[in-house]
Amino acid sequence: MNPLVAPIGLSHYLVVGSILFVCGVLCMATKRNVLGVLMGIELVLNGANLNFIAFGSPMLRADQSNSIGLDGQMIALFVIVLAAAEAAVALAIALNYYHTHATVDVDQANELKG
Amino acid sequence: MNFDALVQSVIDDTLSPGGSLAAFRPELTICATIVAMLVVKMAVPRWRNSAFFVALLGLFVAMYLALPRQWFVDVPQGIFTATLINDSFTIILRVLLLLFSTLFVMFTQVVGNSDGDEMTEFYTLILGALLGMCLMISANHILIVLLGMEMASVPCYVLAGMQRHRAKSSEAALKYAVFGAGTAGIMLYGMSLLVGVLGSAQLPAMTTQLLNMIQQGVSTQQATVLILGGLMLMVGVAFKLSAVPFHFWAPDVFEGATAEVAAFLSVASKAAALGLLVRLALGFSYPVNVGFPTELVPHIKPDDAVVALQPVQQFISAMIALMAAVTCTFGNLAAYGQNNMKRLLAYSTIAHAGYMMMPVAAAVALVGVDGNAPARDAIGALVVYIAIYLFMNLAAFAIVAVLRNVLGSEEIPDYAGLVRRSPGLTVCMAIVLFSLVGLPPLAGFSAKLAIFSALVQAKLWWLFLLAGLNTVLSLFYYLRVVRVMVLSPEPLYRDTAEVPLTSAVGLYCTVLTAPVVLLFFMFGPLLKWANEAAHSLFFR
Repeated sequence: MNPLVAPIGLSHYLVVGSILFVCGVLCMATKRNVLGVLMGIELVLNGANLNFIAFGSPMLRADQSNSIGLDGQMIALFVIVLAAAEAAVALAIALNYYHTHATVDVDQANELKG
Repeated sequence: MNFDALVQSVIDDTLSPGGSLAAFRPELTICATIVAMLVVKMAVPRWRNSAFFVALLGLFVAMYLALPRQWFVDVPQGIFTATLINDSFTIILRVLLLLFSTLFVMFTQVVGNSDGDEMTEFYTLILGALLGMCLMISANHILIVLLGMEMASVPCYVLAGMQRHRAKSSEAALKYAVFGAGTAGIMLYGMSLLVGVLGSAQLPAMTTQLLNMIQQGVSTQQATVLILGGLMLMVGVAFKLSAVPFHFWAPDVFEGATAEVAAFLSVASKAAALGLLVRLALGFSYPVNVGFPTELVPHIKPDDAVVALQPVQQFISAMIALMAAVTCTFGNLAAYGQNNMKRLLAYSTIAHAGYMMMPVAAAVALVGVDGNAPARDAIGALVVYIAIYLFMNLAAFAIVAVLRNVLGSEEIPDYAGLVRRSPGLTVCMAIVLFSLVGLPPLAGFSAKLAIFSALVQAKLWWLFLLAGLNTVLSLFYYLRVVRVMVLSPEPLYRDTAEVPLTSAVGLYCTVLTAPVVLLFFMFGPLLKWANEAAHSLFFR
């Protein structure tokens, strides 16, 4: 079955979710700017969120007994709030780092080592 | 069931005398304390120590409410529609966390070099993290696992960067936050895979579905996704445990943050992460638990279920055992080259996280053997280790903080000859460090013995040998600190280094060191108490 012509189903959502996840992880691993790394983290969280919503959707899953139902959407809502809180804290810390180091390059954070 | 009946049943479940809210009172008290602290600060701005007294009062009340009413709860109780679980394991770990927090709040006040204005924020963050930790140890639902871990982590990122103008502190906070958020994201993705394949977000229901899948034959694709999801979930837990290979943050954060914050991270955060590890590891390998939906598998008896889950048990046990072995060895080897005391203690913490993961691996391997009695003993060994580790590590960090105040340094060479100026404190430090090695007659020895016996019972011989070897390895770097403090000549320029044991800080260090000795002689009752914590994890 060619996924490009099949009607939109669970697997399409999972593919988008996994692409977001991989992009996010690559972004975390390669970006040297803290803000870039934080954006990568957001991508990972949203990839996971998409999975949760797709798994919980009554439209996408033919096998209803194996669906997580509203739990998926509940978890997604909580994750959105958590992501906002985490981003706020991480940005505040990045700003403070900028004040003391005049850069937000993670490679420059090498004072503590050993 | 119609809507009214549903609402009524939720209200009954929440408000009835033995219901959810009653079991949740310690956590509610912590929430109330946080609010009260901020309100009192606003209402009486001239009372500088208000945050300390309110926090202490709140913690005492929470401790009173958390103490078990009858000696132990045999049957675990699922609260808030079984998203949380209230059993004696929760109760005892929560009492330990609250005890630690109480001692910790006193410690920050006694050592007290931080200015009063920031203390309200400091205690707010500490109690907020404590709340997350209480959720972690009682988690029974994937959402609570995530929420608990995030609630425990996010305040800690801020705590690490509390000294805003110190470059090292801000660097530590940055590394901690970026690394923590990254691992949390990966863990969440793993959770979404597990939840999707197993079709539920509640741990017992997930395990039931796993059981069903195993009985019907797992396809390779399903197995791949499950293993991948499990490993990703482990990434998040390993970060909290500072287990290799997710330990990078620990030494940097410990060195950059104050000794007080490092003490909190090294004890409370570890204890909660271990509680969560037990919940997850046993949750997926021992299906007989709260909210176990028997209607999904009507044809299987609990004993058969345990047997059927054997592949899962072997996977989890092997994964944790391997990680424990690497963590323990790495921590002990890396501690050798350290000259900064907090860095050394950070590697020591990593090594101890390794020791404490060992009984979990043993317990998972022992599930279903001899009516679960050996598995229960293994979890008991873990609880007892946590209880003793609490005093050892808090005392070690307290002494480091006291010495920082008098010497202005945390480098080991600067401790030279301290025995001449403050003999009492040096003896305390020596006792604590020898206990961390595990030498008799100190409590650390009994704790290690309990863990080793669990490993022997699980027939994990290679891990047992490695743990023994590691104990010998660790002797030398702890001993080096004591040698510098006792045998090295005192530097000429030092004029203030007296910390008599009769001063407030000296007294505090003595009070923390005393249990390290006393618990060796009172080990029997402690072990019995800890075994009762484990009892409810394997109820029938």
